[in-house]
Amino acid sequence: MTIIEVQSAAATITQRQRWGHYFALIYAVLVIIIGINLRDSAVNSVTAYSNSQAGIRALYPQRWLIDTEGDYVFRVRNLASAGYKTTIQVAIEPVAATTSIRNLVDSLTLIRSQQFAEYKPLSRQSVLLAADREALQVEYAYVTSGDNVFLETLPIVVEGIDVIVIQRGQAVIISFLSDADTFEENLPIFERFLDDLTF
Amino acid sequence: MILLFKRVHQFALSIIILALFTLHLPPVQGQTLGFDEERIRRATVFVMQVDVVTNTPIVTCAASGTIVSRTGLIMTNAHATMVGEDCSGNDLVIAISRNNEEPPVPTFRARILQANIGLDIALLQVDRQVDGRLIDQSALSLPFVELSDSDNLRLDDTMTIAGFPDLGDSPVQISRGTITAFGAEPVGGNRSWIKTNTRIEGLMTGGGAYDQNGRLIGIPTTAPVIGVSPQTRCLSLQDSNRDGVINGSDRCVPIGGAINALRPSNFARPLLRAATIGLSIDLLTGQRVEISTTGDPAFSRLFFSPTVNEAGMPSSVVRNLPSGTESVYLFFNYANMTPETVYELRVSNDGVENLTFGLSSVRWSGGVNGLWYVGSSGQTWSNGVYDFTLLINGIVADSARLLIGSTAETQPLFSDIAFGIENASGGVVGNGFVLPTGSIASARFIYRNMIPSLRWAAIWYYEGVEALRETLDWTDSESGTKTIRIQDPAGLLPGSYRLELYLDTGQGFRLAATSDFTLAGAQVGDFARIFEDTHFTIADTSAEAASSPPLTTFSAGAEILYSVFDWNQIRPGTLFTMRWLVDNEPFYEQTLPWSANQNGQNFVVQLLAPNGILDGTYTMQLSINRIVFAQAQARVGIGQLPIDRFAQATGIQMRGQIFDARTGDGIPGATVVVISELYNVAEFTELWTAQQVFAQATTDRAGVFIIERLLQPDALYSIYIVAEGYLPISADGLEVAADSPPLEIPITMTPG
Repeated sequence: MTIIEVQSAAATITQRQRWGHYFALIYAVLVIIIGINLRDSAVNSVTAYSNSQAGIRALYPQRWLIDTEGDYVFRVRNLASAGYKTTIQVAIEPVAATTSIRNLVDSLTLIRSQQFAEYKPLSRQSVLLAADREALQVEYAYVTSGDNVFLETLPIVVEGIDVIVIQRGQAVIISFLSDADTFEENLPIFERFLDDLTF
Repeated sequence: MILLFKRVHQFALSIIILALFTLHLPPVQGQTLGFDEERIRRATVFVMQVDVVTNTPIVTCAASGTIVSRTGLIMTNAHATMVGEDCSGNDLVIAISRNNEEPPVPTFRARILQANIGLDIALLQVDRQVDGRLIDQSALSLPFVELSDSDNLRLDDTMTIAGFPDLGDSPVQISRGTITAFGAEPVGGNRSWIKTNTRIEGLMTGGGAYDQNGRLIGIPTTAPVIGVSPQTRCLSLQDSNRDGVINGSDRCVPIGGAINALRPSNFARPLLRAATIGLSIDLLTGQRVEISTTGDPAFSRLFFSPTVNEAGMPSSVVRNLPSGTESVYLFFNYANMTPETVYELRVSNDGVENLTFGLSSVRWSGGVNGLWYVGSSGQTWSNGVYDFTLLINGIVADSARLLIGSTAETQPLFSDIAFGIENASGGVVGNGFVLPTGSIASARFIYRNMIPSLRWAAIWYYEGVEALRETLDWTDSESGTKTIRIQDPAGLLPGSYRLELYLDTGQGFRLAATSDFTLAGAQVGDFARIFEDTHFTIADTSAEAASSPPLTTFSAGAEILYSVFDWNQIRPGTLFTMRWLVDNEPFYEQTLPWSANQNGQNFVVQLLAPNGILDGTYTMQLSINRIVFAQAQARVGIGQLPIDRFAQATGIQMRGQIFDARTGDGIPGATVVVISELYNVAEFTELWTAQQVFAQATTDRAGVFIIERLLQPDALYSIYIVAEGYLPISADGLEVAADSPPLEIPITMTPG
């Protein structure tokens, strides 16, 4: 009987190989960082908008379609969104000296409950905007199913936020609307928009 | 490598789309250039008048309708939508045809925006979803059709008729036919009706008839008569009395008989124009005369005339006409008529019913009492004995017989009566049918084939009561013109007059000629001055408008303008016509009985536009017996209406389906952007502004999209398609041919 003894030799790599591994890892991390940066810059890149007549300046996401023709100062929509096209809108409404934010919110609620299916106000809370400006934030939801009655578009639950500020005899209403399924995912876009908004 | 493959794939798809666009496909067989039957089907709607009782809608009346603007204006009949004796509902439900093979689906609610009861035309505005939620009309983009100029139609033109043939059980019915005749009435002259040989079901009333370019030329119109005429029916659909069974005691929906007449689209044009620019007219002075009748509606004194003059009066009275006759008018007196009265004309030739010259049951479009005619011109009447029978609300009212095929008339005859004032040289001057008040009114008429000593008579009537009768022997020549007169030293009263001329045939006197005229206004030269100081003004209230200074230019954006005028010697009840035009196109025309005092100042008319009167040149005209007596004009803003870039309903529609390249499934929620011809894809993806977008659409659950705004030929568009999780697709330089049918484009997107 022959006994064969197998012994493993200790793995030894050269200094050159070791540095090669280190550089490969560093390169991978760098590529990941650059990729993340590129993605972030692509996702978070913005376009400037200003309206001197309304006294509004804003930065909105790049590649969102801007529309200034409606009964709002401007509206931007992400056409690439699946389901409801994520929308940010700034509107200005004249108000009386005695009109409170609460009055305005009630009025909006009445109008929207006539226009939107299953319109449901969710919450109201006071918030502080940039420069410690006080505002009322109203959350709501409703159901929409597209404008074209000849298409078989399934109803979509839309979740929205209105941020309302009254100043200089007018109410500034900043609205954010998103498909309820992607609302939380899209909310940071609106928060960045609010941070950059001056009026 | 994969990235390169994807880019090549994307490029190939763009080329395919480009090829699909630029491919000049031949038109679908059997259709004419520009005729989009699919669009017509989609623009055809089913209108239900409902009575909402304890939250349950009960259908009370129904008709077809046609969408005539992208913001949801619907053209239909007034009789099925306005509240009346037979249609007592309080709301309107609009059902649309989502699929060619399926019955309509209730989708919207609507309200009446404009209506003309006599013409039986109503214009509805979609304003709510079917569940009652309000609609932002500016966001609507419904398929619609444009109106054609119905005056350009000719006999034997081909037409396509669309409507729902029953109470919402069937899809849109499309039938084709030709124009067999034009029907004449005082309301619209020789083009008051379009006649067709196509069988049109009763419930297709209110639908649309289209020319070869797919433009609306007429509205099939009939008014049902319940329970009297065998051709009309009434169907009970719901258990309206909640007794557990649906039977004759439940409320029923009237269904008219077969239709052979269409109201030309030009009658609807003013209503549409007023609705589109948001204008309404309100007469603030005088009480609107409530239509009240003292007895049952009736027709009497039927007679025929070969022609009608410019005032709508018969040239002569005939009992027979020669071979080759091309125009015949049946005249008759009417009394106690209302806009809700339904009348019908049945014509038979040698005992066989003639649908070409008959008129199916329609609403009355005249006044309460007066002289009316129905007829046709421009086509040859074959020889034979024609029996004309008039019906009121399904019951025979009167009849008359006419022989066509006789030799030329050689008997004594009178014709062509015209009225005026005699000047110093004995001539009769004036406009023919409206005379100023005075002590003498003269009539001049033509006579032919007269025999010396032939007995003849002239009878003058004032407001239907005989005022003067003369029976004389003929002493003039055989042929010529003769002037007779009525006079009253105390002055003839203003109002409506009639002259009847009779000839003794040996078997008694027969009516030879007749005509009506109106006496109104003060005499200025040879003419009547009825309306004075007609002008526009602006004021805070209508009371202030009377004393506000005249203006001819107004700044843009005003909500109310006033038109003010004075008037002379108009007998209350005299029919006058008020007509409003913007940029020389009429948007309001009403013939009304005068309801103010005989003389007065500051008659105030309000032009109202709650959203602001659009820039334009506005004109108000006042006329009597079709003669314009006063006019005022004002310019608002730049004096010209703005152009509605969405008003065009002609072009090529693009629709299609977007698929996932891997799975072959439709992609929901993808956005298709058609970029305006002024920009390309590179410019669009740099700026991303809505002004660059010609139209856009989002795919439904099956990946189907419809670009509602029609692509125009000879324009170069770009397209950009984007969906989350897929590589965008774009292409520049897309062009469609003018003769292209609707584009159906399958598009494949690659996940990326």
